[in-house]
Amino acid sequence: MMNISLRLRRPSRMVDGKRMRMTSSFQWLLLTFILLYLMNQVNSQKRGAPRDLKCITNNLQVWDCSWKAPSGAGHGTIYEVCIESRSHSCYQSEKTNAKIPALLPGDHEITINRLYDFGNPISKFTLNEKNVSLIPDTPEILNLSADFSTSTLHLKWNDRGSIFPRHLNVIWEVKILRKENTEIIKLVTHNTTVNGKDTVHHWSWASDMPLECTTHSVAIRCYVDDPHFSGRKEWSDWSPLKNISWSPDSQTKVFPQDKVILVGSDITFCCVTQEKVLSAQIGQTNCPLIHLDGENVAIKIHNISVSANSGTNVVFTTEDNIFGTVIFAGYPPDIPQKLNCETYDLKEIICTWNPGRPTALVGPRNTSYTLFESFSGKYVKFKRVEAPTNESYQLFFQMRPNQEIYNFTLNARNPLGRSESTILVNITEKVYPRIPTSIKVKDINSTAVILSWHLPGNFAKIKLLCQIEINKTNSVQERNITIRGVENSSYLVAVDQLNPYTVYTFRIRCSAETFWKWSKWSNEKKYLTTEAIPSKGPDTWREWSSDGKNLIIYWKPLPINEANGKILSYNVSCSLDEETQSLSEIPDPQHKAELQLDKNDYIISVVAKNSVGSSPPSKIASMEIPNDDLKVEQAVGMGNGILLTWNYDPSMTCDYVIKWCNSSRAEPCLMDWKKVPSNSTEAVIESDQFRPGVRYNFFLYGCRNQGYQLLRSIIGYIEELAPIVAPNFTVEDTSADSILVRWEDIPVEELRGFLRGYLFYFEKGERDTSKIRGLESGRSDIKVKNITDLSQKTLRIADLQGKTSYHLVLRAYTDGGMGPEKSMFVVTKENSVGLIIAILIPVAVAVIVGVVTSILCYRKREWIKETFYPDIPNPENCKALQFQKSVCEGNSALKTLEMNPCTPNNVEVLETRSAVPKIEDTEIISPIAERPEESSDAEPENHVVVSYCPPVIEEEIPNPGVDEAGGTSQVIYIDVQSMYQPQAKPEEEQESDPVGGAGYKPQMHLPITSTVEDLAADADLDKTAGYRPQANVNAWNLVSPDSPRSTDSNSEIVSFGSPCSINSRQFLIPPKDEDSPKSNGGGWSFTNFFQNKPND
Amino acid sequence: MDLRAGDSWGMLACLCAVLWHLPAVPALNRTGDPGPGPSIQKTYDLTRYLEHQLRSLAGTYLNYLGPPFNEPDFNPPRLGAETLPRATVNLDVWRSLNDKLRLTQNYEAYSHLLCYLRGLDRQAATAELRRSLAHFCTSLQGLLGSIAGVMAALGYPLPQPLPGTEPTRAPGPAHSDFLQKMDDFWLLKELQTWLWRSAKDFNRLKKKTQPPPAAVTLHLEAHGF
Repeated sequence: MMNISLRLRRPSRMVDGKRMRMTSSFQWLLLTFILLYLMNQVNSQKRGAPRDLKCITNNLQVWDCSWKAPSGAGHGTIYEVCIESRSHSCYQSEKTNAKIPALLPGDHEITINRLYDFGNPISKFTLNEKNVSLIPDTPEILNLSADFSTSTLHLKWNDRGSIFPRHLNVIWEVKILRKENTEIIKLVTHNTTVNGKDTVHHWSWASDMPLECTTHSVAIRCYVDDPHFSGRKEWSDWSPLKNISWSPDSQTKVFPQDKVILVGSDITFCCVTQEKVLSAQIGQTNCPLIHLDGENVAIKIHNISVSANSGTNVVFTTEDNIFGTVIFAGYPPDIPQKLNCETYDLKEIICTWNPGRPTALVGPRNTSYTLFESFSGKYVKFKRVEAPTNESYQLFFQMRPNQEIYNFTLNARNPLGRSESTILVNITEKVYPRIPTSIKVKDINSTAVILSWHLPGNFAKIKLLCQIEINKTNSVQERNITIRGVENSSYLVAVDQLNPYTVYTFRIRCSAETFWKWSKWSNEKKYLTTEAIPSKGPDTWREWSSDGKNLIIYWKPLPINEANGKILSYNVSCSLDEETQSLSEIPDPQHKAELQLDKNDYIISVVAKNSVGSSPPSKIASMEIPNDDLKVEQAVGMGNGILLTWNYDPSMTCDYVIKWCNSSRAEPCLMDWKKVPSNSTEAVIESDQFRPGVRYNFFLYGCRNQGYQLLRSIIGYIEELAPIVAPNFTVEDTSADSILVRWEDIPVEELRGFLRGYLFYFEKGERDTSKIRGLESGRSDIKVKNITDLSQKTLRIADLQGKTSYHLVLRAYTDGGMGPEKSMFVVTKENSVGLIIAILIPVAVAVIVGVVTSILCYRKREWIKETFYPDIPNPENCKALQFQKSVCEGNSALKTLEMNPCTPNNVEVLETRSAVPKIEDTEIISPIAERPEESSDAEPENHVVVSYCPPVIEEEIPNPGVDEAGGTSQVIYIDVQSMYQPQAKPEEEQESDPVGGAGYKPQMHLPITSTVEDLAADADLDKTAGYRPQANVNAWNLVSPDSPRSTDSNSEIVSFGSPCSINSRQFLIPPKDEDSPKSNGGGWSFTNFFQNKPND
Repeated sequence: MDLRAGDSWGMLACLCAVLWHLPAVPALNRTGDPGPGPSIQKTYDLTRYLEHQLRSLAGTYLNYLGPPFNEPDFNPPRLGAETLPRATVNLDVWRSLNDKLRLTQNYEAYSHLLCYLRGLDRQAATAELRRSLAHFCTSLQGLLGSIAGVMAALGYPLPQPLPGTEPTRAPGPAHSDFLQKMDDFWLLKELQTWLWRSAKDFNRLKKKTQPPPAAVTLHLEAHGF
């Protein structure tokens, strides 16, 4: 029943509310109302008593119970509500509701009756807490404010906790609406407790959209969550909406303005305007518009990227205007990295750090740093330098007296956040001194100086460790010193153990004794220490002049570490028997003095002087202690020096001296000397002057009481080289089977080493062939003799062949190698027995043949006479006919027109001169040497035997083939002699012919009109032409220059030339070799036939 | 050029005329008072140089301001830059100005612009840009001095700055970053326009104060050939 009444009541209230707004449906609502009213009247009539008791509470203490009045209950009816429990209590009410105190859990009987109306029945209800609803009062917003700069809403309300009897949990729900309250953009719950007091609660909310953009409305309701209450719990009604809106103070604006946000976050921009916005862009990007109230628009940016230095521009464009804002997207400050604090001077602490990741925020939004020291409570702020860089930042903090431990905190802060970094330092351990300056050097003495410098800072509390670098030529030394720090920054220290008269370069760096960092090196300071007296006398030697009258004193300049200053002069004095005589003062660059002394034993002393004083004297005796037992030794060095060794001699008290000189120099010869201590037994002599291959004399002197005795004399080479020349040798004697050779010594300068022997090579051979071959090829036919006996100067080579050319080679060698070779060709004498045999045998044979022939001829003389000289001649033997026949047989087609007078038996060609050459003459005439001029100069023959013969005239074309084919022959008369004329060809043919044919050649191919130059060419050609006429052809060469040239066929020439009577031996004679040693045999001889020529 | 026989006579006459007029050429005539001509010329040259300098500076600075300020077609309305002296002027008005007024306007404009420009110098974030701005400020200061020199040479008094009207940039939240950027944009734009206008002014003044130069006459004669 109660439920129905509730349902009925609610629609009626809704109808009331809606009627205000929806007038269009008014009639429909009126009908509904009437219907409900009628139904109500029917119920009242039927019952007639209060009904539908319903109780709610808002504070758990008082229940507000209401019921429905019965019909007929008019105005002024008084109800009595009684609770029938242990203590009966009644409440009167003029309305249809009554407030009763909260009842204990359990069923309670409630009676409601109308007072003064006794006819009506009493309504009885059973009331339990479970049937009571807990509906809190509608909360009320005390205050709603907005922080536009942060787009934050602040809500304030009272929980009215005093009305509740006990602690309770209360849930609040807040809703935020935009766009004229049509869109709930936020609905949040907020839990609190009430504790019997009125409490004001706060709640804030940051909007993603600037609050200026549109009106924001807020409402609130609550819900009491009491676990002890067993009835129904319900939300309160929403509080009335409270609005926040921005009243534009000026014209159009874009929000948010100049905001700094984190990179990557989302942000909404809006433009509050009365004009229509056409477009919006952030940077270069256009954004879609979100329409808000009126013409206001917004854009939403997701994941914003980092801004440039001047920020990111957001621009809204209207028809004729432009509005914008700048947003700065960046990062919060990184934790300062590598924070380090140290001091240069113990007055000020410098802290440096690295800012880490750039924030992308500059200018007023840049990171600000504060360095805070917690013990002293002091802080310093970082003042931004001109250009912000990512390099090291630094801050100076003034040190406080008597504080050594500092606890620094570096705070970094920018609009997006803050970070910090801390460091705890003991500042006396973090001293990094500045560069020392004003370095000064002062003398103490020649080996010590005072070094002073300036080191800014107050180091009175600590000790300093300083490093002094002492730089001398070729040596660097570092000395560490510890000095107590001072207040006035001036430091000085003594530096000893220096060398006099030496240029030093000093520089200094310092650190604290508890080392942290070295300062930078100071500038260098050069200083020359003062001079001291020379520490030693000069190294002295003496030599007698070559005439033995003068003593030359030599000394070496003192090395700089012994001179201790600039040597100005040397004093030379000599003393004899305690009597000292100062001789001369010699200025420095001169290092020898010549004294005229007699042969007394003087003691010469040499003293070097510089500006401070004189050195101790160097003494040397003028005379040498004689040594009879002296021999010359040999020694060879090691390339750069030579090692000399000797036996220890206890009698030598002072020292040993080795002097040396070039052995080829004249006396007194002194290149240099070297002193070695008396206890040593060897010395390596080295000098830049030594050259390989040069002989040096070394003399070892021992010293005894300042007198020197020559102990050893050594000749030696630093390095041996091969001899530069070959030994000169001559052939002393030659026989048929041996040669005696003699040679000379090689001069020492050209020997370039110790001579170890000679190598003698000999072999059979001619000059031009042997030269080509090397001696070292190890050929078996070369015989070698190694002569190691250096005193031997001759050598006889035996067992040779007679009349043979031998090639002799001699070379010297040292340990440095073989010298060059010298060679000679010698021919042994001929063997006389062989010659005799060669003559006698042919003679004997000739005699025997002659005797046998004579005997035979004598015995057969009759037969011979009958055969060869009969009394009646046989006509068949007519020579003239034979002659004619042979001449004309060659061409049977030709007929003689003229009969030759047939002279029987006698056709003779008479010559005017005898042309039979002697064999000996031909020997020297090689075919090359033939003189064609002679032939051309020869007189024309007187007698002319005219013969008829058909020669073929070859005009200018030397082509026999063409001529034969043409067959045009002319008949001319020539003399017989022309027929035999050697064929003279045109010159080009002469040249080409020998080339064209090898092997056998026409033997009459001889030049007729060649010039001398042509002959030379012919000579070369002839050499290749093989067989040649073997006799002096002058005999047949009788052509006259005027005669026409015959071009007879070759066959005729061949038939003509066959001088079988000529001895062909002459070509076997070798050309005369003018260069070879003179052969005793001279020119051509029979023995040549028997000599074996290995080279042929 | 096509030379004919007659031309050589013309050239000879021209040469003679040049020699005759040489002493009259102001640059060569060092004996007398040079007058305001050279300083006007110098001021004109300086204006042209500043125009050139501003071109590169404005490019860098607008890039620094970022888009859309560096976009070529960006042409915003003049918001919040009303205090900047405007260079744009009606042509008739400009023609009606006398030399003194022109010079005074130039002087006053650059005095104001220089003050704004120094404010710009303080704002710029990068060192390179600050250096360029400082250099330009120095040059602009030089131009101001030159204008004062011209005015003095012409006998015009320098305008006295009214007390309290020294333009300053209003820092703080009242002037947002965006509006500041707009001001910077307009400052550069006005500077450009002013320099262009000054070049025109000084050219006009130069022509007016220069005696009819012989060289110009000769040049015209040479064209007659």
